[in-house]
Amino acid sequence: MLAEIKELLRYNELIKQLVKRDLKIRYKNSVLGFFWSLLNPLIQVATITIVVKYILGLEIANYSAYLLAAYLPWAFFQMALLDSSQILITHRDLLRKVYFPREALPLSAVLSNLVHFVLALVVFFAYIIFYIHLILHGSGILLTALWLPLLIVLQSLLIIGLACAVSCLNVFYEDTKYILAVLLNVLFYLTPVMYPAELIRAWLQKWSISEFYKPIIYKMYLMLPMNALTDAYRKTMLPVTSLRLRGTEVEAMPLDYVTLAGAGTICVLIAIAGYAFFNKRKWIFAERV
Amino acid sequence: MLREYKDVMAEAITLRNVTKVFELPCERQTSLKAAVLSFRRPSARRLVALDDVTLSMGHGETVAIIGRNGSGKSTLLRIICRVYRQTEGAVEVDGRMSTLLDLGAGIEPELTGRENVYFNGAIMGLTAREIQAKFDRIVSFAELDKFIDAPAKTYSNGMLLRLGFSVAIETDPDILLVDEVLAVGDAAFQQKCYNRIREFQRSGRTIVVVTHNLDIVKDIATRAVWLDGGRVRVDGAPTDVVHEYLKAARVDQEEKLN
Repeated sequence: MLAEIKELLRYNELIKQLVKRDLKIRYKNSVLGFFWSLLNPLIQVATITIVVKYILGLEIANYSAYLLAAYLPWAFFQMALLDSSQILITHRDLLRKVYFPREALPLSAVLSNLVHFVLALVVFFAYIIFYIHLILHGSGILLTALWLPLLIVLQSLLIIGLACAVSCLNVFYEDTKYILAVLLNVLFYLTPVMYPAELIRAWLQKWSISEFYKPIIYKMYLMLPMNALTDAYRKTMLPVTSLRLRGTEVEAMPLDYVTLAGAGTICVLIAIAGYAFFNKRKWIFAERV
Repeated sequence: MLREYKDVMAEAITLRNVTKVFELPCERQTSLKAAVLSFRRPSARRLVALDDVTLSMGHGETVAIIGRNGSGKSTLLRIICRVYRQTEGAVEVDGRMSTLLDLGAGIEPELTGRENVYFNGAIMGLTAREIQAKFDRIVSFAELDKFIDAPAKTYSNGMLLRLGFSVAIETDPDILLVDEVLAVGDAAFQQKCYNRIREFQRSGRTIVVVTHNLDIVKDIATRAVWLDGGRVRVDGAPTDVVHEYLKAARVDQEEKLN
């Protein structure tokens, strides 16, 4: 695997060019350009805010900021995977006619979405600081936001591993992209994006199982990479003052760094496994796409 | 003559007992449903595209690969440039390769000619600086100065060929692999390509070209290899190989007529 990575690094200019091209083409023929990539999450967030805050009655201070802090990483996850599921098929010509390290393609899909994510985070920070902090006099960004680069690296590794697996599978079974779209839809509701992870914990308390298992199950839930990451993005950036669901207090939990470390390890393992899975099959792509 | 001192030089390309088998499932199973429905593996048709080919090409040689459609020419080229992996055997390449397997391969229609030069160069494994250094030569050879900032989707086939060929040859590879593409260019550009190829030959570089144009074979190649059914049938001086090849084609034709 090290030799493969070395060869990939030799082609770093190709990865740069692929990302550049992707960013250029995506908005080339649109007037608002980059703002489209902000508009979509903003409309989503506005809709979810109305539903969750006003209709379902979840009371969290600055809910829209609270939501965005998890929604932006989620959007990165979702878009990067959807893009990479197609990336080998759409580069059929290139695969059949030129030699280059095949993993440059899914990697470029992840990286160009990473660029969007980071730009969106910058806008998000500006929103927090100017609007919430200066105008509403709410809290600003926490100092623990310095963990952000590490979270982004872990999430990127997770996505790269999955992107490798998904893009490769899609060459052999084109159902992959449909299954992926469905799974991502389901996963969006199961991941604590619209609601805090603490709601799962509160729900768990009501289960009629031994008290001994409850914290273990909750830890396992938080060990799942996207659960851990959305929770961590939120808690490192924003303070949680209080959580109330239809008037009932829900206990807010601090970030559990030990569980997060466990989830981080899983991210790294997924990256290695996904890359190995891809490498094993990548030289057949030219014959199969 | 080349064949004689070839052994003294380190080879540019060596293929040892290379076999390439394609598995062609009768019905390609690209959907999960199809795969689940047919429990056992589909009866794959095996196609032996290359059958135990052993060949070596020295530095400075220009080798033309000829043969009928489906004789394995393109497969051979793709195995040399590592787009395909051989089923059996070994391939060794000494030096940096440039390939031009198709018109517009690695050209992104939405990008401008300028951006495509960088994109294409990166695909060939060059750094931005290396491409920068060769940029002017690439553009002037391709005669695209006026159109370099127009999107490649507005380019004609001839312009795509000029851009592709120019990037492939002006990036100074040690080995150039070309699949039947030059036919698209107009006479003037073709002439220019051949002149450039001769210059390239004189500097001791290796060229492997797949073509159906036998005049080109006799004109620029120093050696010709006739592939037939995935095997090397004749390997030698271009005029002799072309002669044999044409003779066999005539015999085939006559057999068919009778």
